[in-house]
Amino acid sequence: MTDNFNLCLNVLKKLHTAKVLDKVTIIGSWALFFYQQCFKDSNFIPVLRTKDIDFLVPLPLPKWEEKIDLPHILEELGFSIIHNYSSGLIRLSHPELIVEFLVPEQGRGSDKPLSLPELKMNAQRIRYLNYLLEDTLQTKYERLPIHLPQPARYAFHKLIVASLRKNKEKSVRDTEQAMMVFSHLFKNNGLKEIKAAFGKLPKKWEKTIYNKLVSIKSTYPELTSQLFHFWDN
Amino acid sequence: MPILKDFLQEELKNSKDLKKAYENELKKIPKGALVKKQIKGHDYHYLAYKQNGKVHYIYKGKLPQKELHRYLKAKKRRAQIRPLLSQVKKQIHFLKKVLNDRQLQSMP
Repeated sequence: MTDNFNLCLNVLKKLHTAKVLDKVTIIGSWALFFYQQCFKDSNFIPVLRTKDIDFLVPLPLPKWEEKIDLPHILEELGFSIIHNYSSGLIRLSHPELIVEFLVPEQGRGSDKPLSLPELKMNAQRIRYLNYLLEDTLQTKYERLPIHLPQPARYAFHKLIVASLRKNKEKSVRDTEQAMMVFSHLFKNNGLKEIKAAFGKLPKKWEKTIYNKLVSIKSTYPELTSQLFHFWDN
Repeated sequence: MPILKDFLQEELKNSKDLKKAYENELKKIPKGALVKKQIKGHDYHYLAYKQNGKVHYIYKGKLPQKELHRYLKAKKRRAQIRPLLSQVKKQIHFLKKVLNDRQLQSMP
């Protein structure tokens, strides 16, 4: 196993001891790693994984049993606090891993991150994350409780994000990840799950995703035609 | 290939931020190491530090437990940061080298 993986495991252990892990959902490219463990599918191999591990905190904020000095806890593993002075965002960084907290953006939104004083951290507000929190799955990894979004929701969300991205490369990366998850689900009786996730998409999103699928039709002809069926019914 | 290039650029930016953070943290950590000397049964402390290749000692005398703990903590953190800083510098060097590679640069 790589240093990056071992460090991630140590971070998860620390968060579990601090009673934080049970209240957050792992999203981003690290979620794919844990899906890989859940699916036990030899064909499901996420290619690129960024260093960021994103923890999604639900709103309203969970009640933490006590105040936790998270930067101090992770400092023991060599993490350092990185302040983004323009946005005010705090990230905990290490040469092998970056820990970030996210919350769903609600209402009119704000440029400033949401303060998490009980963790001595803050969280970046991002739109459309509620959809991921509405249906999650729990798995165990090395006896640690891992919360992940339902894979179909994760994939639909990735398509939404991909269509909104200004950075073309990141958009391609998001699309690839989404299609990889859909491909696995179609091959492994995940139709019901995709249908359920599709049923919960807001009408506006359906249209955005449809347009995205049209634009990638030539790259993923088989998968997109399977997905178009949901709009036909 | 553009995906890889973008990915590497992001990693380079993150590594540069981290290097800066580690360097700032090292600057804030009190310089030198405490040396304990026993004179006539009493413990006295000196702060030893290197300057221009020479080791200097500053007399600190008897230090309260809190202050001793602060120096010990600083020593531990410095020992932890130094190899990480070296690692992140190597990462930056590597990423710059890859990103400056002619083949990668010629990619759209």
